[in-house]
Amino acid sequence: MKFKDKHRFVRSNMKRNKTRVWMTILASTMGCAFLIMLASVGFAIHKTAVDDVMSYRLMNEIEIQSENGPLIEEDVKKLQDIKNVKAVSRKKYVPANELSLGEYTGYADVSSANIPSERKAGLQLEKGRMPKDKNEIVIGYHFAQELRKEMPENFTEGMSEEEAQKKMKKLAYDGDLLNKTLTYHMKVDNPEIKTETQIKTVKVIVVGIKKKPNKEWIIDSSVLITDDLHGEVMPLLSEIDPELKNSDDSYSSVKVYTSSAEDVKAVSEEIKDKGYLTYSVVSELKELNIYFTLFKAGLIFIGGIAVLIASIGIFNTMTMAVTERSQDIGIMKAIGATPKTIKRIFLLESGYIGLWGVGLGTILAYLISYGVNFALPIIVEQFLNEKPPEDFILSYIPWSLTVIAVTICMSVTLLSGWRPAAKATTVDVLKALRRDV
Amino acid sequence: MISVSDLSYAFKIGKKEKENIVPVLHHVDLHVAEGEIVAIVGRSGSGKSTLLNLISGFIRPQTGEIIIDGKQVSGFSESKWAEFRLEHLGFIFQSFQLIPSMTAYENVELPLVLKGVSEKDRGEQTIKMLKRVGLEQYQSHYPGELSGGQQQRVSIARALILNPPLILADEPTGSLDSENEKELLNFIKELNEKDGITFLIITHDHEVASIAHRKVEIRDGYLREGSKLHEVQR
Repeated sequence: MKFKDKHRFVRSNMKRNKTRVWMTILASTMGCAFLIMLASVGFAIHKTAVDDVMSYRLMNEIEIQSENGPLIEEDVKKLQDIKNVKAVSRKKYVPANELSLGEYTGYADVSSANIPSERKAGLQLEKGRMPKDKNEIVIGYHFAQELRKEMPENFTEGMSEEEAQKKMKKLAYDGDLLNKTLTYHMKVDNPEIKTETQIKTVKVIVVGIKKKPNKEWIIDSSVLITDDLHGEVMPLLSEIDPELKNSDDSYSSVKVYTSSAEDVKAVSEEIKDKGYLTYSVVSELKELNIYFTLFKAGLIFIGGIAVLIASIGIFNTMTMAVTERSQDIGIMKAIGATPKTIKRIFLLESGYIGLWGVGLGTILAYLISYGVNFALPIIVEQFLNEKPPEDFILSYIPWSLTVIAVTICMSVTLLSGWRPAAKATTVDVLKALRRDV
Repeated sequence: MISVSDLSYAFKIGKKEKENIVPVLHHVDLHVAEGEIVAIVGRSGSGKSTLLNLISGFIRPQTGEIIIDGKQVSGFSESKWAEFRLEHLGFIFQSFQLIPSMTAYENVELPLVLKGVSEKDRGEQTIKMLKRVGLEQYQSHYPGELSGGQQQRVSIARALILNPPLILADEPTGSLDSENEKELLNFIKELNEKDGITFLIITHDHEVASIAHRKVEIRDGYLREGSKLHEVQR
């Protein structure tokens, strides 16, 4: 018997008991939708947690430290030699942090960097370009806010915090710093040094502004200078603070960037083998993933119970179908239908019920998920007078969850249809034809 | 066409420990030649239906062997029997045994569907067969909308659709009036003469038995060979 004919046969059988079949499909739909929705909450929380971790760091980034103290150029060379390492970003802290533009003065976290490595590592700019000459610098997206006019004494006295902030904003620099020349003051943060000696300055040009951070609450007011400028600045600072003469040529921060996120694990292992300490998002995510995988498995298990309950409906429907159609089965067997054909027809019928249930259940789950994610922030805002965290979602249905749910539902459906289908093959022809022996 | 040797069958009645064994057929030997119409007659409970059920493969013999169309069928599995029935046997039942949810067309088409014949070929063959039994205009009628005679004709059309060499008929006229009975018997004779189809008919009706070439009587499970009727009739 061809599949097309089995399909036609099953369709006409299903049409005969429309109400019962649709009620069973409805039960399967609800079971499947419940499974997906329940698990989608786990997937959503997992996604939010992972996104949160990843919003601060890049997936292919590995932070390197050494138990033997700060890393030096020799270490960087070792790291660069490792297979699949795309770039080694290394920064040196610069103890002078004051920059000014006319009457505006700002304080920043200044560090020097190897510009070609930064470019390779994927440093992104909002505008401008990477430094080419010694005195060119790149500033953080929020650095301009740090440049302020000098505040008069007792300027904010008697003001509320809100008023004070408004007033302070008026003192901040309100313009584009790109291609502006700033004055870099050779001041060191050492109270023992007399201010008269801190008079040396270096002119620097802003050639690039770093990309705005992903999260709104992150303030990037850093300044990146070239290695060459670092080489010029440090002797000047050493003149002011002799203690700095003894500072070695070590890096304050070293990060390795791999060619792809998949390489992080292998590269981390190799770096560890070379005696360094590593930290990457992948290692953080590994622990996070184990915890959430168990959580999601638990939710899928509970959701699976709903599917099992729905499967009882399918079992019942199919058993009734076999009982009702025992005469038809007997006639078919008498004419020449093999037990295999009979079994396949009934399995196909339970499969169709399951397929409809799974299809409708999945669509329903997606609709509910979309609705919940759309309505939740509105409800939270209305009733709690609070905004939910940015990017927070209560339900997330990735394709993997759909595949898992469809597999579970279809397997349970076929299993529940198996027994009635097997029963159909054992229908006694003589009894079915109501014939005497 | 059919060769039955030393066939015995007994029923087991009651629970396993206390079951009673009721013998129905005793060492039956029956040989039906190709193109023959053989009528098996006997009283109710004589074992004639059991013999037909054994030859149809609906029940398994306890001893003896059955050869149909040169094939030893007594050891067949259920699947093998099903395939064999589809290819070699046609059935005419007293109560027609049509599927009530299927139209006359669909009932006749069913063996072709089970055999996996293409839709186009099925259509041609089914219409041709319905024409042959004079029910072309009733093809979309359900069994419940047809008279007893028409239902039996649908059942015959279904039995003939795959051109089986042997047709087993169990009280084929049992549910028909005399006019339809006559018509059916003439049709059986025609099929036998024109198409050479072998018939094994179970009946207690002498009118039906009269079209057979040979009459075999079963009494208390024992077979008794009767007269060769066709010689007389011809």
